Amino acid sequence: MTTEVVSIGLGQLAIGLVFILLAGLASLHHALKLEKDLLVGTVRTFVQLFLLGYILLFIFKLDNAAWVLAIFGFMIFFAAWEIRSRVKEKQVTFFWPLLVSMAISYVIVSYMVTAVVVGVTPWWKPQYFIPLGGMVIGNSMNAIAIALERLLGDLRKRRLEVEAMLCLGADYKEASKDILSTAMRAGMIPSINSMMAVGIVFIPGMMTGQILAGADPLQAVRYQIVVMVMLVGSTAIGSLLVVYLVRKRCFGKGERLLLQPGND
Amino acid sequence: MDDNTPVIAFSKVTFSYARGKALFQDLSLELAGGSFYLVRGPSGSGKSTFLRLVNRLEEPSRGQLMFEGRPLTSYNPPLLRREILYIQQTPTSVEKTVRENLLLAFSFKNNRDLAMPDDDTLRSRLDNFLLNDIHLDTQASTLSVGQLQRLCFVRGLLLNPKVLLLDEPASALDEESARIVEETAERLCAESGLTVLMVSHRAFASKWVEHKVLKIVEGQMEVLA
Repeated sequence: MTTEVVSIGLGQLAIGLVFILLAGLASLHHALKLEKDLLVGTVRTFVQLFLLGYILLFIFKLDNAAWVLAIFGFMIFFAAWEIRSRVKEKQVTFFWPLLVSMAISYVIVSYMVTAVVVGVTPWWKPQYFIPLGGMVIGNSMNAIAIALERLLGDLRKRRLEVEAMLCLGADYKEASKDILSTAMRAGMIPSINSMMAVGIVFIPGMMTGQILAGADPLQAVRYQIVVMVMLVGSTAIGSLLVVYLVRKRCFGKGERLLLQPGND
Repeated sequence: MDDNTPVIAFSKVTFSYARGKALFQDLSLELAGGSFYLVRGPSGSGKSTFLRLVNRLEEPSRGQLMFEGRPLTSYNPPLLRREILYIQQTPTSVEKTVRENLLLAFSFKNNRDLAMPDDDTLRSRLDNFLLNDIHLDTQASTLSVGQLQRLCFVRGLLLNPKVLLLDEPASALDEESARIVEETAERLCAESGLTVLMVSHRAFASKWVEHKVLKIVEGQMEVLA
């Protein structure tokens, strides 16, 4: 079943702005001081999304593997950069391990999905690889950030416990085993929870988009399942890699914990 | 190692925390095996750091430390820490039973060569530290801080260390328990040749061994008989 898509004209988009206007009026009336943010947010939404649209058009036309992978790499780099700014840690540097973990997990998962599950030829076909890969990055970067924050936070908070074990002859892996598992769990639980709630509590954005674009709902469901599975896979691989690589950096020469309490 | 080799030696050791003033500056010091040292110094002078340098929880910015004539860095750190046992000022336990806490060290792969003590041994060790009413199956989290401090002491001594680093062992203890911990350390020093370095603010009168005082003065160490 494929229906024709009702296209939205620029005039209609402008009518949509009435809601922003209402929100702005509410802000003014209640002195919320959100008018500026609303304006900037609206402009950025228009600019960023149209820009993305044009870039996608450009890439789809080029149909070139190197370009597709370059764009994908660029997206991963910015996701890692965003996490770096979010996780405020000064004693241990973690950008490169983070980038490597994200790149490995996203490339593996995106490749598996486009090449094997969806079966697109060639596997890097931009219409599939970029949107699917982008969804994986956008959704699982939160999970990776959570895992990382948890790892660093717990190592600092439970420092005495870790050092007590080191003093009893544990190596750094044994001394931080529980903290590592807790961090990985923290990273993976949200994607597992969303598998529980999907379709009952919320209709995912991608599926909604496909249905609005005229796709058969059952096909949209299949794509959504693929995306959910991709998210679990990428959060699992990404969280696992990042906590393993960053944990190693938290221990210095002589298997001693480098993170000092309260000095982050 | 001949008999005159110091058990621990500091050779021109400088140490400072990141962006901080140096706590120790070119410190050279030799500590004789089988001796009892009391580490004194004002608050913030680096008493705990001094102990932490000895078991490599901290690394000197310059200089080196030796254990039994070999650089600390030449030892496998977990095995070194088993020999030079540091007991923290704030006792910590894992969320398990008293027995599992006592045997924690024996679950680590570097300690697999050690014979695991049986329940009778654990029981008698606990009794020696006035923990008679603590059952081995009790959850360690239910112990008072003082009881936990003594449990940590028992747990460490099960590894038969050569050097014992005690960081304010009496801080969480009542007078009687503090006396037992200090006396046990002294007795082990006198009978088994254990070297003890103890940071303490308390008045200390040794009964079993002559002790020496290491006093931290402006990044250096004064040895007083």
